[in-house]
This record gives sequence, structure tokens and C-alpha cells, in this order.
Amino acid sequence: MSTEAAPTTTYTGEFAVPADHAPAADPTRQILADRVEQLYRQSVPGTLLTLFVGAIITVELWTSFYRDLTVIWWLITIAISAARYGLYRAYLERVDHDEKKWLRWMAIGALAAGVNWGIASAVIFPSHTDNQQVFLAFILAGLISGGIALFASVWWTYAIYAVGIILPFTYVLANSGSRMFVELALLMPVFYLANVVVAYRLDHVFTSGFKAREDYRGVAQEQKVMTAQIEEQLQELLNARREVEASGRKLSLFAERAPIAVLEFDANATVLEMNPAAENLFGYALGELVGRNALQMLFPADELGINESWWRDFLSGVEPATFSRLRCLRRDGLDIMCEFTLTPLVNDEDDVISVIAQGRDITQQIEAERLKKEFTSTLSHELRTPLTSIIGSLQLINSGVLGDVEKDVSELTTIAERNGQRLLDLINDLLDIEKIESGKFTLAPEVVSIDSLLRDTLVLNKGFADRYHVQLVIGKDLAPAKVEADPKRLVQVVTNLLSNAAKFSPEGGAVDVTLKLDGDRVRVGVHDRGPGIPDAFRSRIFSRFAQADSTATRQKGGTGLGLAICKRLIELMHGSIGFEDRPGGGSTFYFELPVLGDKAVSNLEQLGAAQ
Amino acid sequence: MTTKSLERVCYVEDDEDIQRIVRMSLERIGKMKVEIVGDPMVAIDAIVGFKPDLVMLDWMMPGMDGPTLFRRMQENPQTKDLPVVFITAKSTPTELDELRSLGALGAISKPFSPKELPQQLQALWNALP
Repeated sequence: MSTEAAPTTTYTGEFAVPADHAPAADPTRQILADRVEQLYRQSVPGTLLTLFVGAIITVELWTSFYRDLTVIWWLITIAISAARYGLYRAYLERVDHDEKKWLRWMAIGALAAGVNWGIASAVIFPSHTDNQQVFLAFILAGLISGGIALFASVWWTYAIYAVGIILPFTYVLANSGSRMFVELALLMPVFYLANVVVAYRLDHVFTSGFKAREDYRGVAQEQKVMTAQIEEQLQELLNARREVEASGRKLSLFAERAPIAVLEFDANATVLEMNPAAENLFGYALGELVGRNALQMLFPADELGINESWWRDFLSGVEPATFSRLRCLRRDGLDIMCEFTLTPLVNDEDDVISVIAQGRDITQQIEAERLKKEFTSTLSHELRTPLTSIIGSLQLINSGVLGDVEKDVSELTTIAERNGQRLLDLINDLLDIEKIESGKFTLAPEVVSIDSLLRDTLVLNKGFADRYHVQLVIGKDLAPAKVEADPKRLVQVVTNLLSNAAKFSPEGGAVDVTLKLDGDRVRVGVHDRGPGIPDAFRSRIFSRFAQADSTATRQKGGTGLGLAICKRLIELMHGSIGFEDRPGGGSTFYFELPVLGDKAVSNLEQLGAAQ
Repeated sequence: MTTKSLERVCYVEDDEDIQRIVRMSLERIGKMKVEIVGDPMVAIDAIVGFKPDLVMLDWMMPGMDGPTLFRRMQENPQTKDLPVVFITAKSTPTELDELRSLGALGAISKPFSPKELPQQLQALWNALP
């Protein structure tokens, strides 16, 4: 979360200076702007002082002979002061930032003010009494020196202002006829220069001050940015800390409430932590196991050596061990089988700092698996044995070796044999799928000429296709290709695809079988001209007990396991299976298998011969 | 590879129905002489008495299973050289490997086809050296 401070502004008089005022891109220009601003800032007290002094002079000279002249001068003074105030207001409301322009206007104002006082000296000074002349001389001297404070931020504006006063006054003094005034006139340029030098130096002081202020603004701005960044980073750290704390609480809650045992060991298999499920699993309280060696405490003593060796191998591998089945010993002496997932936590140097183990008791599961296997085996035997009698008897009758039977009887025994065979297929399918899904299914792979296998399988299925009045068609010049497969199971897959195609083909139709080589894979296609695969059925066609609809099931028969078995068999043979619409109607079911190169064929055949 | 035709077969099987079907199949289609033994405990004596060319054994039988009977036959000098074919409902590669490791000539899965059984036995017989 980032924080964004609202901009603040510090007001100094009528000139607003934002506290977060960014340093100017051009510091020299900004310093000039500051100096001009200082001039205008001082122009208001300067103008008021002018009016005040002018008023005193007017009052003082009111009774003199040149009252009219004094009044005219006073009116001019008021007009110049008003103009300067107007300039000040215009500066305040300016929209441009042309500082040089505003400086020029200020210089004109300074000259006007200076000249106004110069006129006063030139016109009024000679025509008054000695006392009044002294009064005026003091006033003028004060105005000349006082102007330094008003105009010194740009020294030459003071020089203009002062020259406007001094030039007429010096001229009047030089032509007064008084030796003392002539000497004073000679000293006036010296005074002028001295004041201008002071103004010049003050200008430098101001400039340095403004420069320092500008530098400060830059530093302040940088500091502000840094402060904001630090605040943001601090906030991010706080947020991260909260998240870590929340994750930690979550993890600890997961571990605490998890139904599986969670333990932490160090690299020596010493128990560091364990959750309540681990306490339940092994029958030890937390305090009884923490700090003790797990290999000695939780595993049978007669397997200590094996387990220590296993632990060393596990640590050296620095890889998680998943689904490791280990015999464990409970506190009450009961043997249990546990399945563990162990994850080593390593530092940057790949040293194991601790191991997180998640385990569960699978004793009952193993027993259930054993019982299931036994049940499957028994089921297989107990179902197949009576079927052997049923189908065998019917086959003997139907084969005619026992002599002719009546036509009606023959039809019924044929139906009985066919359905006995269906029942057998169902049992075989159920046993196959159970074995495949429990991971107990094994293949007997060998090098298989798939083109020959296809031809043979078509011959085997001709009788079935004839029953549906469907012709199985295979190209005469199939590309020869060899694959590594279990031939019996591959025949089962092809038979399943052919029987499906025959069942769903229209009477009198044909099922085409194709074989195509595509790079390092061979693709077998079974193309029918049936109704196609309904959209709703497509996504689950390879699922167990998948049937397009119940009507079709009744019409066509089948367990709905055939394609599910085909898919798993082909995948076990490192191939893939799928289907697509056949152009012109119907469907194409296909499977692809990796083709063996000559060298691979030779190697595998040698391997097979050696076995 | 032998060219002699298979003539005498002894079949040890506890299921009477299957006994009858096998007998019919081998006698009527295969034209073979068949001796059926229902009790595996007396099978060795029956085999010795019958002197078959080939012995067929069921796998699961009460009292003694087929593999155990086969081992007993191998321990007996009078039966140890007889070729044995198992007829079994077990047909996984592991189970068939187990049979091969015992030295069986072959295995025929239940349910078998009585029409094809004589041919299958003859083919296995012919494969003998």
C-alpha cells in the first residue's frame, strides 16, 4: 500500500511558496525570479514611504512662496506611487513568467521614483530658505541610502533609482554659487558610487541567499521523495510482514488441524516439531519425541541400519521423496505401515537444514488392497469356471460334434453361447479396468509388425462383422511398420474399435482400416459410416461405462468399458487415441504409436532373445 | 520339435462339468484317449498308471493346487519328464511367468474353446523338442 501525502503550501505574505515546490529546471532563472519577486515585495513599503515623506515635505513647504510648485510635485508623486502600486498588483496577477519583462517595468518604476525626487531637489531646493534646504538635503540623503534596502536585490535598479535623484541634485548644487554646495556637488558621485557598491554587494548576498534557498528546495524535494519512498517501502515491508505472519498462522493451523501427521526433523533425523496428528499416529506426546532421534524412536529396531542408510541416501539426493512406504513402530509396540512424503529444506549451499515429513497410516489401506486383489482373483476364478462349462457345453453342441440338433434348439443354444460370450467379455473388461486403474496391469511388450497384426485382426473379426452385414476393408499395400507393443492387447484394442464400428454401421456398409506413417509415429484409423458421435457424448466417450444413450445400449450391447480400456492400453504403450468426424459422414477412431527404427527393432529383438 | 501326434492326455480337474467338456472335446474332436482325475491327492498315481503323453492341470483345486502338484510331479522320477499344460482362469503376465518358471509347457486360459482345445494342445505338443 502506498501513501500519498496531500500537497501543502506555505504562505509568506502575498507570495505563495509551495512547500513541495519543485526545484526549477534552470536554477539561474529561478534565482532571477526570486530577486524580481523581492523587488516587488519591497515596492509596497517603498511606495508608502515615498507618500509619507512626500506628505511631510508638502506640509513643511506649504507656507513657502512656491506652494503651487510643491502641490504639483506632490500630485506627481501620488501619480507615480499609484502607478507603482498598479504595477505591483499586475505582477501579483501575472500569468506569464517572463521575469525579465517584469524587471524592466520595475526599473522604469525605480527611475520614475528617483527622477521624481530629483525634480524635487532641482526645482524646490534652490528656491527655499537655508533651513528648508538642509531639511530637503537630509531627506534626499535618506532616500538615496534607504533605496538600497528597497532595490538591492537587483543592484542596477538601485543604480537607476539613485541616479535619478543624484544627477539633478548635483547639477543644482554645482550651480548654486555656494562654495560649500559646489564641494558637496563634487562629493555626490562618490556617495553615489559608494551606495551602488553597497547595493551591488547586497545584490550578491541576496543572490547567494536565493541560491541557497533553491538548493534547499532541491534537497528538500529529494528528501521528500526519499521519505515517500521510505514510507512506501516501510508500508510494503509491513504488509509483507503481515502476509508472512498470516501465512505462518495459516500454515501452523493447517499443520495443527491436518488429519495427516506432519513432523520436522533436522539433518540427523532428530524430531524438531510435530502436529497433533503425528502424536495420534505414533502414540507419543510432543514432549516425548522432540529432541529424540526419529529413526530410533519411530521405526523398528531391526530395520535401523536399513533406515539409516535410506536417510543418508535421501539427504544426499536433496530431492523430495514422495509416497515412501515405511514400516513404523508405535509407542504401544504396534507395527504400522506409513506412507511418507519427505521434503528437505536446504540453504543456499544446498545443505539440508531440516526435513518436513508428512505421513499417514496406510496399514488398513494395504490390507484392503490385499483383500481386493484376493477378491478379484477369486472373482475371476469363480466366474470364469462356470462360464467355461456354459460356453464350452454350448460350443460343443453348436459345433455339431455331438450330432445334429433341432433348428429351434440350435438357435437357442447359439443365442445362449453368444450371451455367455458377452458375459465373459464383461467380466474380462471389468477385471482389465480394475487392474489398469489399480496400477497392477502389466504389458508383455515385444516388437510387433502392426500391418500384419491389423490384417490378422480383421480376419478374426470378420465373423462378428458378418453378423451386422458389414464389410471390413483394409488396403492391400499397407506401409510396413514396427512398434513396441503387447500384441495380445493391441489386438484387443483393434478388435474393440472394429466391433464398435461394425455395430454402428448401417447394414451393407463398410468399415475401412487405414495405416499411415507420420514421422516417428504410425496412425491406425478405423473409419465407419455410422451416425457419428453425438455432441453431448464426445467429452466422455473414453470414460468408464460411457454409452451414447440407453437405447443404443440396448440395441448394440456393450459394457461401456471398451473405449476406456483401449485408451488406457494405448497410453500404457506410449501412444494416444482419439476420434474425429469422417468426411462424408460417420466417425474415425484412431490411435497412434511410436514407430521403431531398424536399430531399435534389432536391439529389442536381441533383448527378447536373451530373455 | 516332435511330429508324433498327441494321443494320451491326463487331466487333473476338480470341476466335474469341465471334466466332461474336456473329455468330449479331446475324445470327439481330438480323437485322443483321456484320463480325468478329480482328486489331486491321487493324481500322481493315476498319471503313473495311465502313462499319458501330456498332463493338463487345473490351477485352483481343493486339497492341493496345480503348481504344488506340478512340483510333486517334478520330484517323482516317473512323472518329472512329462509335459504339463495348465488350464487356468489366471492369465496375467506375472501369473504366466510364474508358470513358465515352474517349467510348464504352456497355459490355456479359462474359459477355453472346446472346439479349439485339441488343436491348441497339439500345437504345444508339436513345439516340444
